[in-house]
Amino acid sequence: MVLAERVSPAPVKSVAEGAPPRRPKNSQGVAYLFLGPWLLGAIGLTVAPMVVSLYLSFTDYDLFNSPQWVGFDNYAKLFGDDPRYLDSVVVTLKYVVWSVPLKLVLALAVALLLNSLRGKGQAFFRSAFYAPSLLGASVGLALAWRAIFDTWVDTPDYALITIVLLSAWQFGAPMVIFLAGLQQIPRDLFDAAAVDGAGWWRRLWSITLPMLSPVLFFNLVLETIHAFQAFTQAFVVSGGRGGPADSTLFYTLYLYERGFTEFRMGYASAMAWVLLVAIAVITAVLFRTSRYWVFYGDER
Amino acid sequence: MKAHKVVGLVLGAALVVSGCGAKGGGDGQQEIRFIWWGNDDRAKVTNEAVKLFESRNTGIKVSTSFQNFQNYFEKLSTEIAGGNAPDVIQMDYRYLNEYAGRNVLLDLSPYVGKEIRTADWNSGFIGSGKLGGKQVAMPLAQNATAIVYDPKLFDAAGVKPPRIGWSWADYKETSAKIQASTGGKIAGATDFGGTEDVFETWLRQRGKKLYADDGKLGYSKDDLKAFWQLSKDFRDGNATTPPELVTTLNAGAEQTPMGKKLSASEHTYDSLYGGYNTVRPGELALGPYPSDSKEVLGSYRKPSQLVSASSRTKHKDAAVKLIDFLLNDPDAGKILGANRGLPANLKIREAVAQNLSGANKVIFEYQKSVDAQLGDAPAAPPKGDGTIYKLMQRKHEEVVFGKKTIDQALEEFWRDAEEALK
Repeated sequence: MVLAERVSPAPVKSVAEGAPPRRPKNSQGVAYLFLGPWLLGAIGLTVAPMVVSLYLSFTDYDLFNSPQWVGFDNYAKLFGDDPRYLDSVVVTLKYVVWSVPLKLVLALAVALLLNSLRGKGQAFFRSAFYAPSLLGASVGLALAWRAIFDTWVDTPDYALITIVLLSAWQFGAPMVIFLAGLQQIPRDLFDAAAVDGAGWWRRLWSITLPMLSPVLFFNLVLETIHAFQAFTQAFVVSGGRGGPADSTLFYTLYLYERGFTEFRMGYASAMAWVLLVAIAVITAVLFRTSRYWVFYGDER
Repeated sequence: MKAHKVVGLVLGAALVVSGCGAKGGGDGQQEIRFIWWGNDDRAKVTNEAVKLFESRNTGIKVSTSFQNFQNYFEKLSTEIAGGNAPDVIQMDYRYLNEYAGRNVLLDLSPYVGKEIRTADWNSGFIGSGKLGGKQVAMPLAQNATAIVYDPKLFDAAGVKPPRIGWSWADYKETSAKIQASTGGKIAGATDFGGTEDVFETWLRQRGKKLYADDGKLGYSKDDLKAFWQLSKDFRDGNATTPPELVTTLNAGAEQTPMGKKLSASEHTYDSLYGGYNTVRPGELALGPYPSDSKEVLGSYRKPSQLVSASSRTKHKDAAVKLIDFLLNDPDAGKILGANRGLPANLKIREAVAQNLSGANKVIFEYQKSVDAQLGDAPAAPPKGDGTIYKLMQRKHEEVVFGKKTIDQALEEFWRDAEEALK
């Protein structure tokens, strides 16, 4: 039944698409007009500040006075003479390594559960599980978290765990993507496997996961990039200080502190660029490994 | 090409729109922005005073906002860097050099004694807003370090409250007794080892100071080591708060161990008493620091806050007018009371003292009781002190949580502090 419904609308389209429509001559101008607001934003709010920050990373800019060129000093200091910087890298890596898998496993588990509901209140539960993510970046939520885990947050050995949990709890976005992915998997594969006597685990391992691997990969890349940039939760939970005893000194938090409370904006810019390059490298590595475990349906 | 024209058009339109927005009312109405740090009770009186100012100066509109101390300077630096500096800025002694040294504060010298009246001022106190011959700020009020304590707990444990002449050993013994009398549920004293203000007071008791005249650290490693050891003795003697509570300081009275009823005594400034009194109305009292020196209490007449104008303000006169009003207007003085500490204008201070109640009364009486012992304020701390303040907190935390030994933390503190002062 489901299959039949999906097939039906297809033929209607192809008629209109037969010949390429003739474009009005100034359609390019119109395209730019519509692109305008986005272009303005992209150039004015993203590209230009990035170029400026790259320049500033080679200066001693202090927010107030005109920057002086210092060459690679900031970068040299980062790696040679700033133990706290290395601490912040370690904290961030720990956070990424714990929070990303935890979040993805949770998201997948709940997506599987919801997928098996099919119609029986699925919409309701989907929204309910998604809700925390909607509030995700909100300060209020992090404050509530702070209040709930009062003593944990104030103890160096547990503070990071509470932030990992807070992040894992906000698994809504990957969950919804997983759910969409799950619903794309052709049912006949499962039916065939069931006829052959495959159990639930077998089907999960041999059908669901391989068929879902592109979605899994997408979520992994997205969440990893996200996790490296985590800021709000750590800022609020630790009262903006990365404490106690630097146990939640995230990379971005340290960057913020250097830039905005110590006025070393040149240094902070250098940190930002190192982070950007690091994320790019890690993403590239993930893409490289993907050829070994990501299965696209059209492959043999 | 056509596309360029379109992009240009859109860009132009955006500029025109934003240009219009920035201008605002052009009918002689001046709008200035005034920001400060504090809490709700301070906001209430400050806004009341600002309203009065507006009603007397119909051409000037003042928009106000406030933050807690922790976030205030981050917000301020961002706003200034973004070219959106507030016109009138509440300033902290600790950050004076940080900002004035970067030329973001208006030199008020031309106005002092004229538009900003100073006839009823202690001339030494005016000087606390001066740096390198420029009057970069005016002190708003005077405060001093103090111990805020819970007299009931002191009574219940049968110990004497803070008083002139008590020593740090007395304090430790007293705190341990209180802590024991509550079955360890309430600490005798809040851990003070990470707080630079306490360290400074303690240093002064030993004839030293936080910063030497050349802006370098004014104490030796041994001094800080002894201070951290003192704090450790309190911990070892079951006289102070557990580690989890060291991170809650500096957040606002309601979040400190004292505000949460987890401590019987806490280091503070008398001007913060209003905040404590809001959280625990009528329950707390102020007393002097302990000191091992018979002569020196270590506390001094500190400008609790200062007020500056932005060097980029477009409405200098209005900003100066507001500053003078906050400092010297008798009605404003009445409204503001001792919320920021003792008013800098001595006539207003006297007038406020005539009619005291609640928190104001406690603050005034405390300052009176220690007045003879108060020293003059040292020069404003150098650039980098804001960083060192946090550094001390952090390194002390690492000691408290057993992550580092005192010696390790000390070495790291020293390296980073010297770096911050460069």
